Amino acid sequence: MIQHQVPLSSILDSYLAPGANVFIFTSMKRIRIRGQLSTSQFTPFSPIRNPIASCSRCKSTRHNSSQAAASIPSPFPSPAIKPLVLDAQFSSNLERFPSPPPFRALQSAKLAALHARLDLSPKIPLQTLARALVDATADPDRGHNNASLAILGGDVLGYYCSEHLMCHYPRLPLEVLWAAQRAFIGPDALGTIAREWGVDAVRAPGGEVDPGLLQFRQEMINELHYEPGYFKKKRAEELEASLPPRMRKENPNDDYTPGNWQLRFNEAGRPQRTTITYRVMNGDQFGMQPSKADHVPKHTTLQEASSNFVRALFAIIHLHGGQDVSKQFFRNHFSSRALDLSKLFAFDHPNRDLLLLCLRENFEPPVARLISETGRRSAHPVFIVGVFSGHDKLGEGVGASLLEAKTRAAVAALKGWYLYSPLDVTLPSEARKTDSKKTFKPNMVDPGEVVVY
Amino acid sequence: MVVRAIHAVSKPQNGVGAFVVQCKKLEFYYCDWAGSSKGMNSFIRHQLPLFAQRNPQVEMTVTPRPRRHPFVRASYVNGQAKVVCLRNLEKLQILDKVRLMKSDNGEKLKRVNKPVTSINDGVRGIFSHLHSNKLSIGLEGMELKKKKK
Repeated sequence: MIQHQVPLSSILDSYLAPGANVFIFTSMKRIRIRGQLSTSQFTPFSPIRNPIASCSRCKSTRHNSSQAAASIPSPFPSPAIKPLVLDAQFSSNLERFPSPPPFRALQSAKLAALHARLDLSPKIPLQTLARALVDATADPDRGHNNASLAILGGDVLGYYCSEHLMCHYPRLPLEVLWAAQRAFIGPDALGTIAREWGVDAVRAPGGEVDPGLLQFRQEMINELHYEPGYFKKKRAEELEASLPPRMRKENPNDDYTPGNWQLRFNEAGRPQRTTITYRVMNGDQFGMQPSKADHVPKHTTLQEASSNFVRALFAIIHLHGGQDVSKQFFRNHFSSRALDLSKLFAFDHPNRDLLLLCLRENFEPPVARLISETGRRSAHPVFIVGVFSGHDKLGEGVGASLLEAKTRAAVAALKGWYLYSPLDVTLPSEARKTDSKKTFKPNMVDPGEVVVY
Repeated sequence: MVVRAIHAVSKPQNGVGAFVVQCKKLEFYYCDWAGSSKGMNSFIRHQLPLFAQRNPQVEMTVTPRPRRHPFVRASYVNGQAKVVCLRNLEKLQILDKVRLMKSDNGEKLKRVNKPVTSINDGVRGIFSHLHSNKLSIGLEGMELKKKKK
């Protein structure tokens, strides 16, 4: 029989190394031992000093997001600071808060692990990271949720991404540029990225839950009772609930559906087509109808909340680290993802477009010629057709019929034109006066895609 | 409209830019009394503090589980969890197991037959006999006859 003269937990407490994210449950009741991370930091701004009942939460958080960067060099409290007993005293009152109070950020192993997993700079305090995890649906207070940070982060992300795409692929048609932008930093991409970072969501937000979890409020699905067609109905409801509010059947005109702009009417009361120009002038960075700025929904989806978290985190990195750090973060986590741009194109009339392109660029009109063929009379013929402009082969396509091969050849020629990438590119954000190594060379600007009236 | 766009989402390539450790949580369960936890208790005393310090990306919890065998549960970013029973193991054997679980990606074990798996096209392209030099195998004589005419 093993006998411990000293309980294991107390030994561990003395052993605990700084930076280690360990929680010890000494009994089945899960009492947290005060290790490095469970100490509450004693700062003049800490709400622990003032009784929570009397202090306004704003004072503490405003410090945490901006001033903390200057006063706290490390996100982890120093081991010399003695733990306070006060947080246990207030732990019973935590449920009163809509989101976890800032002082609890230092007690969360999840949060510290996320900080380390993303290799964030020690300049970024844990409290600020915790604030990025609070959605506006969980805490409507703008001083505590990530709404403002998400706006900044979304704009900076959009700038880096569009700059990257437009400088490296100057001939990309606008629709494809929007699709590429959405593939890298659209809501569905950001939702996936948050999941790949290991960010878990709460079932329901509150002051007592772990600050390392994504806090947002989602619509609860009413439990169905069994009846014929139960599973079909349940699956349909789950699918409906998983969609963002704007895509649900219940309120099709409440917000907008992606890709389909809300129906507009002209002065005569007739439905009006949403043109590319209109989308450029009035759309968001993906050419879509922007959501209403002052409208805060009651519920949101995991995807929306996750994408807001990623945007807010990016804003924090930009604010604390500056442009170089945020650009490096963008390269590491966003532009390094795989996307085949040639798979984003869909042409309706490639032969016509290629002809117009050749006329515009003063090339000779394209001519399709058969390069090779096999099995013309068989069940599976193969034709290889090339489109030529004078002596230059613009593209080549394989098809089971002559028309198919010709169309594929025209598509290949158009993609070859649109996907041109210059070798020497200087991004506008790379070239600055302070950086003597890189001088800005003007980038290529294309006249634009082929337009058919 | 001349060009329409197809919606797509970029795919992750962990390690191409940043590398994110796929193990997000390790839960250790031990018993103070039982003999099968002897090595586990020693591991918790002597190995775990340093291991936790060296792996700050992983959240770790230590929980008593009286009168039961010790085990460790690892949760991964992909939503999977792996559980390994650690009864009667020595502390260094446990350390090996835990290292293995920490460096795992959480996917189910599967047989790998191909030496390379890639989402990129091969740089040499695919061979096409329709583009190669036109050879007429076994008909050389006939072609010669035609040329004579």
